[in-house]
Amino acid sequence: MTETTTEEIVTQSSDTEPALEQTPDDRQRVDDDVPNVIRTRAMNVFYGDFRAVADVSLGFATNQISALIGPSGCGKSTVLRSLNRMNDLIIGARTEGEVHYHGENIYADGIDPVRVRRTIGMVFQKPNPFPKSIHENIAWGAKVNGFKGSKLEMEDLVEQALRSAALWDEVKDKLGESGYSLSGGQQQRLCIARAIATKPDVILMDEPCSALDPIATLRIEELMLELKREYSIIIVTHNMQQAARVSDKTAFFNVKLSEEGMRTGHMVEYSPTEKLFTSPRETETEDYITGRFG
Amino acid sequence: MTSAQDTNLHFHQELESLEHTVLGMVNRAEHMVEMAVDSVTTGNLELADRVITIDEDIDKTYFEVHQMWTTLMARFQPLGSDLRKMSVLLQLNATFERMGDQCVNIARVTQQNDGLPRVERICDQIQEMGDLVRPMIRTSIEAYLRQDLDEARLLPAMDQPVDRLNANMFKEIVAVASDPQMLEWATKIMMASRALERIGDQAVDFAEQTAYLITGKRAEFVETGLDKLGDDPDG
Repeated sequence: MTETTTEEIVTQSSDTEPALEQTPDDRQRVDDDVPNVIRTRAMNVFYGDFRAVADVSLGFATNQISALIGPSGCGKSTVLRSLNRMNDLIIGARTEGEVHYHGENIYADGIDPVRVRRTIGMVFQKPNPFPKSIHENIAWGAKVNGFKGSKLEMEDLVEQALRSAALWDEVKDKLGESGYSLSGGQQQRLCIARAIATKPDVILMDEPCSALDPIATLRIEELMLELKREYSIIIVTHNMQQAARVSDKTAFFNVKLSEEGMRTGHMVEYSPTEKLFTSPRETETEDYITGRFG
Repeated sequence: MTSAQDTNLHFHQELESLEHTVLGMVNRAEHMVEMAVDSVTTGNLELADRVITIDEDIDKTYFEVHQMWTTLMARFQPLGSDLRKMSVLLQLNATFERMGDQCVNIARVTQQNDGLPRVERICDQIQEMGDLVRPMIRTSIEAYLRQDLDEARLLPAMDQPVDRLNANMFKEIVAVASDPQMLEWATKIMMASRALERIGDQAVDFAEQTAYLITGKRAEFVETGLDKLGDDPDG
């Protein structure tokens, strides 16, 4: 394969095939026309010799919120980190299979993982602002990622990012203060603003509310529903009610003992969220969501 | 056992208790139908009073179920078949409370018709309606307990003769309209007939709820006794 950058990937092709692994029932509930922004094909992720997840084939729809749920160790966070090559940063981690972003495999030779991560941004479990001012948290990230506009344009970028993250009104008079001076919920919205400032296409969220109180959680959830107009969002959550509240489609992952005696994650069911939480297709899903699991 | 499993065991115990309470209401309603029909066809005021007393008890249970239901939802936020069962139990709570109310309507007819002359032929027809409605309630209960979709689907066909007898009641009343005293009695009896027809419909509703619980799909049974559940390609 010839050398391709992520920027080229963005402008090259758009994948308009319907999501993978859909039953006729799923298609009734999720628009056929919604193209996939990311889709994985037979993805396996290893940590050394240990296969953490096996054979994941999933399509994530554009401008929708997709949720990944399942018990601890089912590989849902591993899958999420593989979608923007964040796993590359873990020594010994290896992804097999394909992850297509707008139709191009982000694991193909010549793809720059840094650019992948800029286009497919990530928000982590624990808010992790830079030890810098609120302003710099946005501006510095944008500069590192190649922003070359004027000072005025930068001010505009900072304001727009903070507005998009529903934080502007709370911080506009203290942009010079440290990011650490904000509450946990505000810090998480600052991290979302920072991710938005690099103009991503997809935002991955790894349990973004698990360190937040219910009010801050509600604000992030409202924000996600706002953001999906412009971005495609994929969220890992332990909170099934949260998945039920915000997501359009939900994938349930579970753990099974492999032939080698290892606990490997796999995807059990991928359905429209309402269906998955009221009448799931698979007994395994039903057992998990009703607490009969294990 | 983990604490999460403990919590879920606790939820399922409480859900079972809620279900038991709701089904207790329909068991009482089934008994009330028998007493109400007997009271109105024989003019037995004592039976009518008993129906009204039992209904007061059902009304109390209705509020208790609401309270239990709300508390369970707030504490556990159930999903999957548990959520469907919660949804069904809330609906059944209302349905069974109304069944009780319809029995009271029949008992009130007994009270209002006290001392008036009766037409035995019409009384027989009311009795026949009661004899058709009670097995409907029983079949709905059995279908629910056994989670038997085929049994639930019997209900619309069972309801048809009840509807026919109710429609025919008007003709019977017109036939006795020449006698003013008889007319007064018969007009009230029409209300009892209507109440039995409604109880039949409520038994059909109960069976529809059972079908939803089993299949996860909402569908109304149609009057022919067939429904679209089985034809659903996604079923």
